[in-house]
Amino acid sequence: MTTTAREGHDGGGAHEARGPRTPRSLRTGPGIRSADGTHHTHRAPRAASTTTGATQHARLAARTSRWFWLVWILALASLMPATLSAYRTTVPEGPQGEAMAAALGVNTTMRAMLGPPYDLLDPGGFAMWRVGTFVAAAAAMMAALGVLRATRADEEVGRTELLRAGPIGRHAPLAGALLVAFGACALLGAIIAVSLAALAPPVGSALAAGLGIALTGAVWAAVGAVAAQLSESTRTCRGVALGSLAAAYLLRALADGVPDSSALSALQWVSPVEWAALARPYADERWWVLALPALLTAALVALAFRLESVRDHGSGLRAARPGPAHGSARLASAGGLVARLTRGSVIAWSVGLVTFSVVIGSLAGTIDTMLGDNPQLSAMFRRMGSGAPELEEAFVVAMLEIVAVLAAIFALSLLLRLRGEEEAGRTELMLSTATSRTRYALAHLVPALMLPTVLLLACGALVSLPSVLAGGDAGTIATCAGSALVLSPGVWVVVGFAMLVLGLRPRLLWLPWALVAWTLFVAWVGGLLRLPDALMKATPFAQLPHVPAEAFAWGPVLLLTALAALLLGAGLAGFRRRDIG
Amino acid sequence: MSTMTSPRPGHPADAATSTDLAIDIQDLHKRFGATRALDGLTLAVPTGQVHGLLGPNGAGKSTTIRVLLGLLKADSGRIRLLGGDPWAQAPELHRRLAYVPGDVSLWPNLTGGEAIDLLGRARGGLDRARRDELLDRFELDPRKKGRSYSKGNRQKVALVAALASDVELLVLDEPTSGLDPLMERVFTDYIRAERTSGRTVLLSSHILSEVETLCDHVSIIRAGRVVESGTLTQLRHLTRTQVTVDLAVPVPAQLTTLPGVHDAQVEGHRLTCQVDDTALSAVLARFAEIGIRSLVSTPPTLEELFLRHYEPEEAAS
Repeated sequence: MTTTAREGHDGGGAHEARGPRTPRSLRTGPGIRSADGTHHTHRAPRAASTTTGATQHARLAARTSRWFWLVWILALASLMPATLSAYRTTVPEGPQGEAMAAALGVNTTMRAMLGPPYDLLDPGGFAMWRVGTFVAAAAAMMAALGVLRATRADEEVGRTELLRAGPIGRHAPLAGALLVAFGACALLGAIIAVSLAALAPPVGSALAAGLGIALTGAVWAAVGAVAAQLSESTRTCRGVALGSLAAAYLLRALADGVPDSSALSALQWVSPVEWAALARPYADERWWVLALPALLTAALVALAFRLESVRDHGSGLRAARPGPAHGSARLASAGGLVARLTRGSVIAWSVGLVTFSVVIGSLAGTIDTMLGDNPQLSAMFRRMGSGAPELEEAFVVAMLEIVAVLAAIFALSLLLRLRGEEEAGRTELMLSTATSRTRYALAHLVPALMLPTVLLLACGALVSLPSVLAGGDAGTIATCAGSALVLSPGVWVVVGFAMLVLGLRPRLLWLPWALVAWTLFVAWVGGLLRLPDALMKATPFAQLPHVPAEAFAWGPVLLLTALAALLLGAGLAGFRRRDIG
Repeated sequence: MSTMTSPRPGHPADAATSTDLAIDIQDLHKRFGATRALDGLTLAVPTGQVHGLLGPNGAGKSTTIRVLLGLLKADSGRIRLLGGDPWAQAPELHRRLAYVPGDVSLWPNLTGGEAIDLLGRARGGLDRARRDELLDRFELDPRKKGRSYSKGNRQKVALVAALASDVELLVLDEPTSGLDPLMERVFTDYIRAERTSGRTVLLSSHILSEVETLCDHVSIIRAGRVVESGTLTQLRHLTRTQVTVDLAVPVPAQLTTLPGVHDAQVEGHRLTCQVDDTALSAVLARFAEIGIRSLVSTPPTLEELFLRHYEPEEAAS
């Protein structure tokens, strides 16, 4: 590929370089060009290395994933400035704010969730604590996923093989993917540093925050590069990379959750997601800490290159283990197939949502002491919590709505496998058997309706569990489970809407995603941003009664259930009528 | 097939043959947006026949098959599959047929064995002994994951699942495009056995030799319609014979313009041309008058048949 690129610039085909924007890798080679009279003598190749062609690969990876990087970077870059702009409404000036900051700083659950608080009275320090570690972890997720999609994912479907046959080095795709990921992390860090420098000087502290976040991303770009070598399955590699991130986050949650005197608190140094915070931006920076992620990144990149050298193209480090020669008795129908294919994601979602609910539940009991003295923040939570007078109640109501949106995302991910299977050509295979279209669609629809509903009920009960264990009224369990269950028609409406799109215009499947993204946005920050009422109400959950803040009413519940049924029916009818494939 | 509904008036084929037809398509039209994929396609496959659907990529072979399977809805036309309506009665009809797509896509984390069992059971059960025999003959390891199979092995998975099911009709869309010659041979053996046991096979292909070895009957598809259909003998009969003749004298110019002579090439005493079968006697008589030193005549291969149907299209475009 290097040759092609060079030919394009100096030989008689210089005009080619300004031609239509064909990816370089696709352009005609020198053989064609010599036909129009410009003959190139064969030149000695540049010293070939195992990374020859890495820059071309970086360009290709950036081009094919530009939306991926753009959306991630913009979303993550906006969090710190958004938190800063809301700082004064959260922590008021004067002794009241100081008391609140102190209360927040010692709250164990908050520390475990967010990280070690260093200086909450400085707007920058507060933002770093409130979202800094979260942004760093999210940047790590972005980088790992980005590297995997440009390496193992392409390799698994056989795209890389074609490129590796060209004049490029063995490590070129990996090196190219890493270049892009490092570039993206650097860009994210730079945007954060610049925006912080403007909103929360001094510049040095802003730089430390941006650098810390960028370097955390870089570490997991390298983790992704190592993970990509391990298995021939992209799913497994992704599991390894994200699993290590989750483990690192839990480790630091544990280390930050225990009292400072505990020996376990030293564990925070073991978790790379904690390093950005440990560099203490806005709280007497410890710059040397930032050498840790840089060194770890270098070591992991070296390891990934080494591993790529010892494995075969297309395979992982270990040969794939053979699976069963026969299908289990349950693998006999579309339903059995879907159960088998979704097993992993059902478990992962359940564990995630259950953990989230328990954390929410344990926070709920402390919310009064933390925020009770802060009228602005209390008012915000009451807005989010449908105006419940009790702060704890408002908090639970607000959080249950978030759980419900997450359940809707889970439902959507289950249902939309229907489209993924169709695009891969496997729906055709199943429908050529005695499976009817209705049964095939229901095999995806029923779990997408049932599992999130059951999970929502369980999460509702779990939210109340910590307070009941602490000696509260056992009846709360039923109340909270009920409040969660009341939100399930909203999940069904999302599923129904997705089924409608799937049945009639499958190309518009981004619409249901946009709907849940909006709903999540409203549930998460709607109360904070004081959005217009009409916008706040444009979600599938807004019309439902938010028990116990609002009285239960059958009307909206039945109405939304009926709407969901209508959408589902129309979607199913469309799916039965349209062309497949 | 005894459940066949009474023949409808207005469809001439009904009264005589429709109970014997496994596949009966009349004047089928299907568009995708502005593209006319099928343009009045008519096809009849009697029960027990191995029928070859021949045509290049994009001619409409796969579209025809997917309409037959009820995956695509026909814009117009009459389609009967095993005596039923493939759109309305797909699940019942699919119990009686097995399908192998041209590009088999398997579940990445299901093994080949699991995929075979799933497809077989979803179709209504499969013969365990036959499954094992097929795996053995096709030399397929059923314990590998779907993602690690090559194209040929993915195709074998679908073939084993199809051939291990006890069905009346096999619908095979370019079934050997990924198989090596040895495996192609195994496949050929199985299809021959299927024919002997009276199963109907619809096989689409652009590999002429495959169609030539396997099929009783061939339909050539071009631009969404069947342009020629018949047994190989019938098709050949309608066509031209390749003739190379060395004459006693240099080839007279008027020979090349005789009625029924095509693509004449003259090289001194030698004339190479194609002759319509109907004009063969007259042309050979003229050669004999002039004096023949040697004569080679070859019947048209399927390839020539095929090219003859496609060349005009290429010339036009």
